[in-house]
Amino acid sequence: MRIWKYLLMAVIIMILSLAVSAAAEAPLALDLSPDDQNPSGPVMGDHLRFWSTITNRGDIPIEGLVAWISLVEIDPGNEQPVDLEDWSAQKAVTGASLGPKQSLRTDWPMRLIKGGDYRVVVSVTDRGGRRVFTSPTVQFHVRQKPVLQAGRVLAVAIGVPLLFIGLMAFNNAKRRRKKGV
Amino acid sequence: MKAHWTIFYKETAQMLRSQRGLLWLLAFSGLLSAFSLLLVSNTELSLLDNAQVVYMMAGTILAAGALLAAILGSDAYAGEKERGTLMPLLCAPIGVNALLAGKILGLLSAWGVMFAVATPYLWAMGASGQNLGAAVFYLALFGTPVVLGFGYLAMALSARTGSVLASLLSTITLFMLAATPILIGPGLRGTTIGRAMDAVNPFAGALNTFDSVIIDSEPFAAQVGRLLLVVAWLGVCLLAARRSATHPKFQ
Repeated sequence: MRIWKYLLMAVIIMILSLAVSAAAEAPLALDLSPDDQNPSGPVMGDHLRFWSTITNRGDIPIEGLVAWISLVEIDPGNEQPVDLEDWSAQKAVTGASLGPKQSLRTDWPMRLIKGGDYRVVVSVTDRGGRRVFTSPTVQFHVRQKPVLQAGRVLAVAIGVPLLFIGLMAFNNAKRRRKKGV
Repeated sequence: MKAHWTIFYKETAQMLRSQRGLLWLLAFSGLLSAFSLLLVSNTELSLLDNAQVVYMMAGTILAAGALLAAILGSDAYAGEKERGTLMPLLCAPIGVNALLAGKILGLLSAWGVMFAVATPYLWAMGASGQNLGAAVFYLALFGTPVVLGFGYLAMALSARTGSVLASLLSTITLFMLAATPILIGPGLRGTTIGRAMDAVNPFAGALNTFDSVIIDSEPFAAQVGRLLLVVAWLGVCLLAARRSATHPKFQ
């Protein structure tokens, strides 16, 4: 009975070590970094750029590479994935192939639509493999910019109707004066 | 002075210097003010929320312009008839085209004033957001043919029926049909029938352009097809108005 236990443990250890070594020898290396030109304190409406580098560390070419960018909002109580539809026109790179030891450097431009704290990550998979590789995340904060100035809106919303009321009163007064004459 | 300019000055004065014209402009500015004040408490809008507001405001201005065109167009011939001023007008040495041109120029000036009234609202709402210039430009470019088209359509019905009420009801019903994109959601508009309606509806064409340039920041090249649609709408309505005005059925 004890022999069986040892055997089972040996099998488990073997499987685990295989998994660890497979992970250690991941054929793809992925890196993500912000562009040097990015503003240090980005405000809503600014543009940011990130650079990803995908490296084939294996000895065989990787075909049908798909890399895509994801953005997650991490504001407390408002944690959610962000639909990149309005943030970026470049959301994925598809169909690329990467020879052994070759790298693919891609830029990911982004327009900041809403204030808050965000984390960006690039993921990669290929046609043949079943694994998804993810880059380290890059975190940034977008400062809120007021897009509606209450003073300006109030001035117009009250001023314009008042102008027409004034014109109507002026017309009425003019008409009454004419009748009086 | 040429006849169409005389008619234009008369129509413009009726609209802009009369109390009823000022009342219309007051109601229009009240509508835009209410719309603006609804949003004034929310200062944490995203850039797209702000663009959405400007887009909705552009749609509202266009709808109000089309409504005005329906009213003025319906009054153009049938109103003259009901007031007993059509016969002297038709007997005067004024050609059909000059009469039509004078009426449409009057409508154009009224739309111009509405546009001028709406511009400060667009500025107040969209100056800190995106694509304000594009919003104003495309509202003029697409709004003018759509509004004038409704004006011509109402004039055609007005000359054909001789009744302000009948013409107004018919034009407003058609206007409401054209304005369904405001009421129905994007889901229904995405169906085959919804897309087919969008393809032939000038009002939807203008709204889709506002969406495209204000929210999605798309270039002029993407709007050419819809511009052709609204110009075609203007042309067809002009032909209908000219045909009806040449042979008014109620004479």
